[in-house]
Amino acid sequence: MKVKYLYVLAIVAALMMAACGKNDSDLQKAASSKLAADNVSGVTVAVKDGNATLTGEVADITVKTKAEASVKGVEGIKSVDASGLKLKPLPPAPTPMGDDKMMEGTINENLKKANISGVTAMVSNGEVTLMGEVPKADLAKAMQAASAANPKKINNQLKTK
Amino acid sequence: MTNEELQTKYQSLLDLANQNGWQYSLSGGDDGVLHVDVNVPDDNAKQQVWDKYNEIDPGMAGGDLVLNANVTGSQSAGGGANTYVVEHGDNLTKIGQKYGLTWQQVFEANKDIISDPDLIHPGQELKIPTA
Repeated sequence: MKVKYLYVLAIVAALMMAACGKNDSDLQKAASSKLAADNVSGVTVAVKDGNATLTGEVADITVKTKAEASVKGVEGIKSVDASGLKLKPLPPAPTPMGDDKMMEGTINENLKKANISGVTAMVSNGEVTLMGEVPKADLAKAMQAASAANPKKINNQLKTK
Repeated sequence: MTNEELQTKYQSLLDLANQNGWQYSLSGGDDGVLHVDVNVPDDNAKQQVWDKYNEIDPGMAGGDLVLNANVTGSQSAGGGANTYVVEHGDNLTKIGQKYGLTWQQVFEANKDIISDPDLIHPGQELKIPTA
């Protein structure tokens, strides 16, 4: 009688475990190896009741998105919280090429080389303001002429025709 | 916008680079302007990068991105930011003034191609030194 009772209990327990799926520690291992397989480093995974939490520091947003998608793809993971996954601070922006006057000269020369007329470039404190009117097709070229001088910022006020 | 918000805004640009194996580097960000430098193999790829920027920010007037798509392998043709092509009627003083330089500074940087500072020719490509 007693043996039979234990036997039933064991079956019930086995059924319950099967219903719950894998346990958290297995899921955590599976998620970690999935990240390694996807070449994502710098991410730590914790799993509680099938919900994954990611922490750590990654190079940029594309790695964060990839980490999230990788862990979501692991069977048994119900949700992924990546809010604790930080982006590495970026290095400072490159120093503008020369002083304001110099940058203006460079940008005007770049505009000339790209055969763009009707654009005025003004540089102040390393920030470029583009004014004038260009054909729509030339807008990107005008922006390229300005960005090649490594400005701190481009205020694009160009109108397209 | 913070660095992360900017990166989120321009993520599809970075995805495009990743999908094609184009290396990129990011800088700035925290001052509200994200700097993206992408190395691309050719002009077609450069066009794709700029098209993507225009798709994310139509008109490119947001003032929050400084994008450079550098065509690698032909740096003198692709970059060209620091050279000046001599035109009819130019002289070294005039060229120097465009960049806030003296004629001597321009001459010094181009001694290899200019022997007489009074004699420059249209079409000559002069190096512009950093002041």
